[in-house]
Amino acid sequence: MERILFLMGNEAIGYGAVRAGATFACAYPGTPSTEIIETAAGLEGIHAEWCVNEKVALETAVGTSRAGARTIVTMKHVGLNVAADPLLTLTETGVNAGLVIVSADDPGMNSSQNEQDSRNYAKFAKIPMLEPSDSQEAYDFVAEAFALSEEFDTPVLLRSSTKLSHGRGQVVQRAPVEFEAREYVKDITKHLMVPQWARLRNRFVIERLQRLRARAEESPLNILEAGTADFGIITSGVVYQYAREAFPDAWFLKLGMSHPLPYRKVAELYERVSRVAVVEELDPFIEEQVRMLGLPVIGKEAIPADGELDPDTVFQALEPYVTATPPQRRLPVFPPAPRLADPPPAADLPVRPPVLCAGCKHRSVFTALKRHKVAAMGDIGCYMLGADPPLNALDSSLCMGASVGIMAGFNEALGRKASVAVIGDSTFFHSGITPLISAHYNGAEGVVLILDNRTTAMTGHQGNPGSGLRPDLTEGPAIDIQKMCEGMDIRCVTVDAADYPTLKAALKTAIDAPGLSVFVAQAPCALMVRENLGEIVVDEERCNLCGLCLDIGCPVIAPGEDFVSITDGCTGCGLCVEVCHRGALTLVGNEGTP
Amino acid sequence: MSDVTTVALVGVGGQGILLAAAILAETASAEGLEVKASEVHGMAQRGGSVLSTVRFGAHVWSPVYRKADLVIATELLEGHRGLRLLERGGTLVCAATTRIAPGSVLRREEDYPDDLAAATDQRGVRLLAVDAEGLAVQAGTVRAVNVALLGAASTVLPFTEESWSRGLEAAVPAKILEVNRRAFALGRASVSSAETRVPSDRA
Repeated sequence: MERILFLMGNEAIGYGAVRAGATFACAYPGTPSTEIIETAAGLEGIHAEWCVNEKVALETAVGTSRAGARTIVTMKHVGLNVAADPLLTLTETGVNAGLVIVSADDPGMNSSQNEQDSRNYAKFAKIPMLEPSDSQEAYDFVAEAFALSEEFDTPVLLRSSTKLSHGRGQVVQRAPVEFEAREYVKDITKHLMVPQWARLRNRFVIERLQRLRARAEESPLNILEAGTADFGIITSGVVYQYAREAFPDAWFLKLGMSHPLPYRKVAELYERVSRVAVVEELDPFIEEQVRMLGLPVIGKEAIPADGELDPDTVFQALEPYVTATPPQRRLPVFPPAPRLADPPPAADLPVRPPVLCAGCKHRSVFTALKRHKVAAMGDIGCYMLGADPPLNALDSSLCMGASVGIMAGFNEALGRKASVAVIGDSTFFHSGITPLISAHYNGAEGVVLILDNRTTAMTGHQGNPGSGLRPDLTEGPAIDIQKMCEGMDIRCVTVDAADYPTLKAALKTAIDAPGLSVFVAQAPCALMVRENLGEIVVDEERCNLCGLCLDIGCPVIAPGEDFVSITDGCTGCGLCVEVCHRGALTLVGNEGTP
Repeated sequence: MSDVTTVALVGVGGQGILLAAAILAETASAEGLEVKASEVHGMAQRGGSVLSTVRFGAHVWSPVYRKADLVIATELLEGHRGLRLLERGGTLVCAATTRIAPGSVLRREEDYPDDLAAATDQRGVRLLAVDAEGLAVQAGTVRAVNVALLGAASTVLPFTEESWSRGLEAAVPAKILEVNRRAFALGRASVSSAETRVPSDRA
């Protein structure tokens, strides 16, 4: 027997997520979105977390999705601003298991500092947007959103608003969706958004939007409802219910999937009626697109551009237009598909990607990390260069500070320490601290490797709170990461990145230990100190070209016919000597290094 | 368009492409021309390919252009790459003795391109092959390859010695100005004496 529940819209989304096979839900609370997670947390089969903010919540969700778990992450409209950084690159990487982002708008500012229309983010990020209009749809659309997410390899926005989130209605429960957790496969062309891969994924995003529009034309969520009056209304979300009640005889184009807009369905409505209005709260989101098609429409000149609507307001606003002289009939002009830039010509010359510098002491971290069977969630900055061959030491890079949340989510979904995070000191100060707090609070597994060179190297060696150096070259306080972690009761070990044997052992200890810890590898940026510690001498008899020293990815070690040679630019850091098993490399130190 | 000259400076991140571009821009500016320039920062500077563009003339609209009249390359492979920016009749000034193998070449997955002279001949491009590294060392620092090369390129650019001098002074930090002046002068002097190495007569 189907049991009918009487649910708040937010509760319906929580139930709908569980029914759709979601096993992870996270959020930072915010009215009117909060009850979704509270509901999910009380249901079987799903794990719910409060994260410290919406950015961290979305990044944690990226981790669980990537690990193969269907994931829902929820926030209020202003929270989506906080999560905008990961969102705008997540659109490029896409998902593994489905990832649905709920944004609850608050027209009228019942408990918010501003009014903003989340649908603009769907356009901005070029991702689909679903807008349920009552509790039953809130419940049903979640499963549809997950299916779309996986079919189109995209995050999906599900927009609610106060009167849907906090309104109540009956919900008929449906049969659970069968969902098998998806396997994670390392693929840096999809998960590591350095320019060379991001450019390709960006083309995918633009093409995906075209395919999504074709889907919107066919989607059962977008319904043309026949009426008897010569008056049509285009609308979405809870506002549909207001307009339906106000104008029972009108034709309706009800958009359950409101982005991308199905242009032909809009045109179809114009074939049936001679007067069309768009009823939407907040921005003229649909209206502007209808006008772009060259079609006459009644919009924000009648429907208030601020505040909440209700049936009476909609009726009062549109009643004069129902019998007004219809505008002159016009044919729609459909915008052509966008052209993409010419792809770069095929490389018939060897490409020269940026590389981790010769003498970068932090190369030791990647070298040690490769000995462990863990995924390495990377971040933004120089250390992205650890992803390149032959190091191949990173799995992911999304946006500033995302490594820590992705790691936490990934490990939570797999139930073990399946990944670590790799982040530079400046990126850690930028936005790596909040996800560390979140991971600690939620009992996450993982190791956060902070490669601390006391500068913001990639952008040209600016100061940061770790160095204390300010733009005017005065000195402020330098924050000690070890002490910071101790203050939060997070286990932390600090090692010298130049001491490979110690670093290797300490990293093994950190990865083998249960729970969460921070691992700080310290060494100054090679470009700042410009050391010349000595010369590497190759024993041409002992070297058998085994490749161990080549695997560290140092740009000055070159294989010859029978043995390796060291080319210009060697700083004598000695990491190659450490990894050589045959004693074929020797560091002859300089006396009185400048 | 015709009264605008486009110079592309190409090389490997860390070779001082930005500084060379700044000197050129300051020099053109000292000549009373309008100058616009475009450069790449960040990722490209960690040993990656770098491209800077300097455009000058009576009036310049765009800071970028797909083709160049002159390409200055501080490295041989990047010289090969920069060749694609040149139309027939253009000039490539290349540090012909500077070879920096990218990772794929070090790992022997790809071959370092051979014979630049043949490639320039084939495209109908004039080549000034300069031992910029040798000249830089002679001037006092191997790091002045960029400026030595700029000295060589100055022979095909319509600027006075005085403007070049002002350009160097405006763009180069005082601490390394003298060594760069020497490198520039050696580069400029090298061209007339190395005319036999210019295969343009064969083109």
